[in-house]
This record gives sequence, structure tokens and C-alpha cells, in this order.
Amino acid sequence: MARYGMALDYKSCINCKACESACKEENGILLGADNHRIWVGVNEIEGLFPDLSIGSSNFQPSQCQQCDNAPCQSVCPTNATYYDDNGVVRVNPDQCILCTYCMQACPYDARYIDDRTVTVDKCNFCSDTRLIHGETTTACQATCPTKVRIFGDLDDPESEISQTLRDREHYSLKAHLGTKPKLFYLT
Amino acid sequence: MKTEISRRRFLQGTVALTVVGATAAATALANAELGKEGKKSKIVDFGLTKTQYSDKLQEIPTLCEMCVNKCAAIARIEDGVLTKLNPNPLFPKSRNMLCARGNAGIQALEDPDRLKYPLIRVGERGEGKFKRVTWDEAFEYVKEKMVTIIDEEKDNRSTIGYCAGEGMAEHTYTSFMGDKIGSSNYVNHGSICLATTIAGYTLTLGGYGQADLENAEYVIMAGANRAEAIVTPDTMDMFKRTKGRGSKLIVIDPRFTNTAAHADKWLPIEVGTDLAFVLALTYTVITEERYNKRFAEENLSDFEDYKKHILDHNYTPEWAEAITGIKADDIRQVARDFMAHAPRAIYYQGRRTAWSLQDYQLRRAQAIFSAMGGGVDKKGGIIFGKKLPLGDHSINGPMYDNAQERIEKDKAASIGASGSWIAWRNTIIDGSAPYPVRAFFAYKQNPMMSIPNTAKTKQMLEKMDLVVVIDTMPSDTVMMADVVLPESLYLEREDPVKSFGGAEPSIALRKKVVEAKFDTKPVIEIMRGLGMKLSKPLFEVSKKYDEALQEEIADRGEKEVYDEDGYDLADGYRHSQESINHHMVESVYGEDAWKTLREKGVFYPDMDKFFKKLSVNEYEYYPEHKKSYSIIKGDLNNEPYHDTCVDINEIAVLKKKFRTATKKIACALYNLEKKKGVDAMPTWRDELYTPTPEGRFKFITGRHGQFTQSGTANNALLLELLPENYLWINKRVAKEKGIAFADLVEVKSSVGTIQIKAYPTEKIGPNAVFFIHGFGADSSELTLAHHRGANDNTIIEDHYEKTFGSAAMHETIVDIRRV
Ligand code: SF4
Ligand code: SF4
Ligand code: SF4
Ligand code: SF4
Repeated sequence: MARYGMALDYKSCINCKACESACKEENGILLGADNHRIWVGVNEIEGLFPDLSIGSSNFQPSQCQQCDNAPCQSVCPTNATYYDDNGVVRVNPDQCILCTYCMQACPYDARYIDDRTVTVDKCNFCSDTRLIHGETTTACQATCPTKVRIFGDLDDPESEISQTLRDREHYSLKAHLGTKPKLFYLT
Repeated sequence: MKTEISRRRFLQGTVALTVVGATAAATALANAELGKEGKKSKIVDFGLTKTQYSDKLQEIPTLCEMCVNKCAAIARIEDGVLTKLNPNPLFPKSRNMLCARGNAGIQALEDPDRLKYPLIRVGERGEGKFKRVTWDEAFEYVKEKMVTIIDEEKDNRSTIGYCAGEGMAEHTYTSFMGDKIGSSNYVNHGSICLATTIAGYTLTLGGYGQADLENAEYVIMAGANRAEAIVTPDTMDMFKRTKGRGSKLIVIDPRFTNTAAHADKWLPIEVGTDLAFVLALTYTVITEERYNKRFAEENLSDFEDYKKHILDHNYTPEWAEAITGIKADDIRQVARDFMAHAPRAIYYQGRRTAWSLQDYQLRRAQAIFSAMGGGVDKKGGIIFGKKLPLGDHSINGPMYDNAQERIEKDKAASIGASGSWIAWRNTIIDGSAPYPVRAFFAYKQNPMMSIPNTAKTKQMLEKMDLVVVIDTMPSDTVMMADVVLPESLYLEREDPVKSFGGAEPSIALRKKVVEAKFDTKPVIEIMRGLGMKLSKPLFEVSKKYDEALQEEIADRGEKEVYDEDGYDLADGYRHSQESINHHMVESVYGEDAWKTLREKGVFYPDMDKFFKKLSVNEYEYYPEHKKSYSIIKGDLNNEPYHDTCVDINEIAVLKKKFRTATKKIACALYNLEKKKGVDAMPTWRDELYTPTPEGRFKFITGRHGQFTQSGTANNALLLELLPENYLWINKRVAKEKGIAFADLVEVKSSVGTIQIKAYPTEKIGPNAVFFIHGFGADSSELTLAHHRGANDNTIIEDHYEKTFGSAAMHETIVDIRRV
């Protein structure tokens, strides 16, 4: 029993995509850029050569925000999308009927269709591939060269993620929607 | 700054080059393209396996070989199948990470296009028609040809040319070809990569050193692109501290790279003018007296001459502005800021520095400028670190009386043992060689794609009587081979144990994690097989022509000479790699160290005490006071500078004994000037600068974080991250030319023409164009890489600088038109 979350020290991201490939290898995601649990957002740089705005070209790693108040879960007619004991939003492919309501409802565009099972898939914090076997890191965290990612239990006040969130300023994506994401961007 | 980008917008591909086109990538690619007409009916599965964690789980430490960094990995094997590569946190150099390519090692292992067994050519050379043979048949074929050639060349062993790419087994191969076979005609990647910077820093500081980016407070990265061309530990150390978090980063680059995205300042520079920029920095700190005078006085030789040289030439920021396009005020500011942060300030050495005709002097100027701040052999500056010694494994090489010196030795001032690739190849084809090079061996290098002017490389290979290629993939060079000797993939073999120097030195081991899938061998076994085949027949040839050998035999008898003087060409390669490694570690550190190394993949003395987990991501390898920052001994000469306000260590006034000829940092190299006519001090030469004519473009090439040269070009997972290369062209210029995104354009130089899709962007200036190296393979055996994107070396002209014979890859002018 835990409440897992992830803090992202996104200023360290170099858009190397190690996290994307680690996620695919670990979780057996199909090849093809449409099949992604995780990605890095990049803005087109602003300005004209040579006067470019460096700040406009941040890299923003992203994946399912593991909302505490997840719209994808509340719209799911079959309860295929559910919260597991660790607060991770999961999809049970056996119950998914591919109505795609969840894909429409997710404000973060975190879901895609797995062509093999023809069901909806997304990041599950490596619950079935790593956490279940006692690993304490996700594949994307473990592999990241610049150590952007801190994964841990938000309910444990001693965990590094809890301490980091106490000590450092951070924000959530689209916080105004009230989805209560468990991904936090450290500033 | 908050950016919120949805996946869909992101995938629409309007934003990042790296995703453009990716939507249709690998699945489509694996299905559709493989079904293309005319393809052999290969059973192809480029898919990925989900981790299951069976009860037959093994975790084996090894080292990655998807690029040159050799990051420590832990392979997870389930029921004999490799299901995941994870980072091994124990290795100081790789700092607990594996990049995208490291993760994609599984695809390299499973790649259906791999070389699977020895091949002998049956069609015309280059046609790509081969037949499967046994190892013995392959060796026999090589022997027949080699004996004929060496006999006809009267035992001039240098008639056998050979090349190698960087790798842990490179020395196994070069010792065989150089010491055992006895050829001096070796070329490696140095002269198309880092020769100028290694030479520049070594001749100036006594070593190339390591930039201590973990502690530097001010870093100038010029051309080097550590966010995309990953170098460990530099990449990890750098980008955790950018953006106001400990280190200022100034990026000097004609392109806005991912590194520039982390910069405090990005100063785009005219291609090929970096030397003028550094000279003006130097001018500024000399005239404003901002350098570390105490350090300079104690440790720089001929510094007065250098100051005079810089001032006499009037290398002012205004002078440099006219050449580099960087504003004089910016130059002044960078110079001042650098010295304000010195000695924790670094002008980053760079790695693939084969750019311009003035590159060597550029690296010298950078090194001297860094040294003027005192940041050499100093925490936060350029440090030399320590290296843990390993035991010996010596090779007994015969002396061949008739082996001649390398053919291109006079084509530049100082051509070393690893040669000048371009000069060497051109010497073979232009008829200026003093004797013919008739056979060519390639190991882990793909000169058809990696050497400027592909047409000439092809011409060279066509001239050979024998071409032997050792590789894992059917590269363009493999297509030109007579004999193909397939190497086992890095995950299928044990390599020579290696010691990694630095502030936190360690020893690491690449261990076999899975059995070889096909009839392939590690290099040591290939050398053993060749050696056993060649020893006797080649000895007979030597006996015919080698008078010194004939005398020895008369004196000591044939058997003794053969056995003791190294003519048994296999003798250094008979033991297994594992037993050689065991000896090299055990003889110095004992049996327990060897056990640790095999079990954990990494060893250094006191690792059990020093290694600590600090947080979920961070580890400590050595306590701070045990790190090897300053290693050069010197006297603390504080007599004339007694000042209680400053920490004398911090300002680096130690008088040190550097490993240069003068024991000081060398501002002037008069000897090289006297003997070879090389400028003693960095001097800007207009005649060595190629201006870009109006309406035309200078071509630059570079690397990328999801791709290692042409070596990963067929990797299914990496190709979905970066499906092909695009031509960066300034957006406004493109518009004028009617070129839109993804339009096919023709890029034409004096040596070749390619077609490539366009990526109009403001991240590059109006007179330069760029695309990533490694794409555009011609080999039809590479299902995914074949004719995907364009090969830069088809259009890069074969210029090389005349000090070390290093390629000058950014001196090519091209024309662009929409197709
Ligand atoms: S692995 Fe880390 S640095 Fe690389 S793209 Fe992912 S989050 Fe960014
Ligand atoms: S990010 Fe989307 S998919 Fe993930 S929990 Fe929130 S609403 Fe659901
Ligand atoms: S936590 Fe696991 S499933 Fe989620 S993005 Fe990272 S690697 Fe993929
Ligand atoms: S940098 Fe990447 S490809 Fe290179 S050795 Fe490390 S993990 Fe492998």
C-alpha cells in the first residue's frame, strides 16, 4: 500500500529519449511512434536566427499524470480503468471494450491503443513489470542519464519524493482542471 | 517557463525534427517495407518482449557497446533470453545510466540482418553476392591470397593495409595486424575524429585530460554537443547543473543544438572561424590583465612570447567579429566571465574535432586560454585523473626486415601510427605510393560511410587484391568485401578488461551475457584462427626474402627462431579472453578483486567502503578527498605572493611539472616549427579559411543522441525515435528557394550529390546547412537502413589539415535545389 508519484527535475532533461526506449523494452510496447506511454514535449523555438529565445525551447518529459481524480476512470463504463492499491491508475485489458471514452476524457493525451490487444494502454508506473517484483524504480527513472525522475511513495513523509516536494517549488500540468496529478514538475 | 504539449500535437510533427515522420515509423516500417518487392523472404521480427520475470532469471553485468562510452549495464536474462538492459550503478564513468541506444542493444542482438556466418564473395566486388562458408574455408581463402601477395611483394608486410574502429578488442586486432603480420599501414578513427584535439591538448598541457564538469562553474562548449553526442560522464555531469544551477554554459555553434537549449548564452559562429574567436578571447584577457598571473608565471613556458604574438597580430574582438560574426562585446564579456570563474572555468576540449584546416591550432589556443585561468590539474578545470594499472598481456612480434614505412608518412607534418585516413586512401588511388598496398582488412569500421568522399573509398577498395571485413552487420564496406568474418555481438562475448582513468578511476569488464546466436566469433578467436592458418606459410615467405631472418636461422636454428621470435602468429591469442583477463586483474589486485569484477562488473580498491547510495538516483563512488583532481606534483611557491586573503590552493599557483617537453604548459612549440614548419603559436591564417560564396552553403555534419554513426542505422527501436536525417536549412532561405518542410532537395558538392528531405528552421544561419551523419546506407542487406536518408560522406570533400593529416569535414561548399 502506497501512493506512488513522480517528481520531474525537467530542467535537466536533454531530450535523449532513453526513457522512451527503456519503457518500450521493459513493458513490451509495440514499435511505432503512435505506441508510446512516455514522450518528451518540445516547443518550436521562438525568434529568428541568430536571436533565438533559449527559454522557449524547454524539454518537457511527460506521461500519464496518474491523476488522483482521474477523468479517464470516471468515464469508463466497464471499470476497466481503476485505481490500484498503490493509487496507480491502471487499465485491465480484459475489461476494456475500446469505447475510447477515456482517451477523449484524458486532458493529457496520455492514452493510446495497443494494436495487439486492441485495448487502451498507458503508463502504469511499471507496476506489472517492475514494482510487482520488488523493484523500487521505474524503467524510465533508472535509465535517465541526467536523473530527471524521482519516483516514490507520496504517503511516506520520509521518502525522497515527499522531501523533495516539501523543499522545492513545483507545479502540475493543467492544475486548474482539478485532476490532481501525481506527476510534479520541479522548478 | 511552462510548456504544455499534448502527445497529439507533439506527434503531428510540427515541432521536433526527431519526431517528424515517426508516426509512420517502425511498425509500418517493419511490416510494409519488409514486404517490399524483391526483398528476400526473411522471417523478420523487430518486436519487443515484455518483461515477465520467470523463475529462471539471471542478472549479468556487462558493458554497453552501442557507442564508444562503454556504460555499465546489467543484463536481465529470462530463460536464456535477454529481456532488458538496465544501468549498473557501480561504474563511476557511466553514473547509473543507459541512453536510448544502450536500451536498444536488445534490437542489435535480435537484428535479423546481422552477419551470421563467414561469407566469401561470389559475384563482382560490391555486388553483394556471397556464399556461406565455414570458418576454415574463409581462413584458407585469406591465406591463399595473403601468401601470394606477400610473396610477390618480397615480404613487405606493409602491403597489407588495415583499419579499425574504436572498441575494446581494437588492440587485439591491431596487435595481430601490426605486430604479428607486421604491417605499418594502419588507419583508425583518430584522423576522422579527435586527432587534432588530442594532439593540441597533449602538446600544450601534457595530456588531453578530462573536463571536470561536475565542479566547473563556467564552461565554453564550442561545436561540442554533449546533449546529443553523449560522452560519459560529461553529459550527465553537465546538464544537471545548467540553467542557473551551478554552472554557466556558453555554447558556440553554428547550430542551435539541444546543448544550446541548456545554455546561458548561445553564440552562433561562422563555420570554421573558432580560432579567431579564441584568439580574441586571449587578446582581451591579456590587454585587460585578467588572467591568473601567478599561475601563468609559474607554469606557462614562453608566455611572454605568446602575449607579444597575440598583441602584435592585433587579435582584437573587433577583428574577430568581422570573421566570426560574434559581436565584439560578446567576446569581451565571455573572456571576462571566464576569467572571473577561473580556475573553475573550462574551454571544453571537444571530441570529433575534424572540422577545419586550422583545427590543431584552434585546440592549442583553447588549451592555452584555459590554462591562463589556472584551471588545469585543478578541481573544476581540466584534470588528468588517475588510472588503475592492469597486469601485462604482451604480444611477441617478429622483426620483418622488408616491411616498409607507411605510405602517406610525408603527406602531413606529423603522421602518427594510426595514420591519416584520407591521405592514406588518396595515396593508394593517386599512384603516389612508394609501393602498392594490395590487401585491406577492416575491423569495426565502415569506411564506405565514415571517410569523406565515398567515391574515392570505393575506388580504393576496388584496387585491392583482397578485402577482408570483420563486422557484425552487413555494412556498405562489407558489401565490398571478398571475405566476411562475422564478429559476435558485444552481448555474446567477453572483451579485454579495461581500466578507466579519471578523478574516480575504476576497472570494468564486458562479460558475455548470452550465447552467440549464430556462427560468429569474438576477435581474439578470429585472430587465433587466422594466426594458425598463416604462421607457417608466411614464415616460409619471410625465409625467402628476409636476410636478417636467414642469419638468425643459421645461428640459432629454424625451430628456435620460429618459436621464440614471434613467428607463431597465434601465440598471443591462444588463451581464452577470460583467462587473460583473470591474469591481468589477479596479478595486480588479487583473486578477490577478480571475483568482485566478475560478479559486479566493476572493481576499484576500497569500492566496498567507498561506494554509497545517496538517493534514489545518485551514488557516491569515492569520498571527495579521495578523488584524483590534482595529480601533478609541484612546489607550493607562495613566497613572492604572500597574501593571507586568498586560498593559495584555490588560485592554483602551485608550480607544477606538466608532462610536456618543457615540463610547463607550452605556449610556443618552436621545435615543431623548426623541423616541420608548423606555426609555433596559434596563428589565424586567412589562406586556410574557406569563405562561403553568396547563395551557396557550407556543409556541416554532426551526431545525435539516438544514433551512433552508421553502426546503429538498422536498429528498429532507434529508427522510430529518429527515422531518417533531414537537411537543416534556414527557414527564410528555404522559403526564398521555395523549399517547404519534407520537400526533397538535392545537395551537391564537388565530389557528390545526394537527395534528402528538408527541415527549414531558424536554428541554423543563412549560409550553412547540416544533416546528421550515419544515414543513407547503400547496402541492400540492411533492410531498415537501406537508402534511408542521406550519407554525408558522399558529399564531404576530402580535405585534410597538414599538421596531423586530420580530416577537415566542414570545408565543403554545397549548392541546394528543390528536386
Ligand atoms: S531519459 Fe531523462 S533526459 Fe532523456 S529524455 Fe527522458 S527524461 Fe529527458
Ligand atoms: S493523465 Fe489521463 S490517463 Fe492518466 S490518470 Fe490522468 S486522465 Fe487518466
Ligand atoms: S513508469 Fe514505467 S510504464 Fe510509466 S512511462 Fe516510465 S517506464 Fe513507462
Ligand atoms: S552512451 Fe549509450 S550507447 Fe554509449 S555506451 Fe552508454 S548506454 Fe551505450
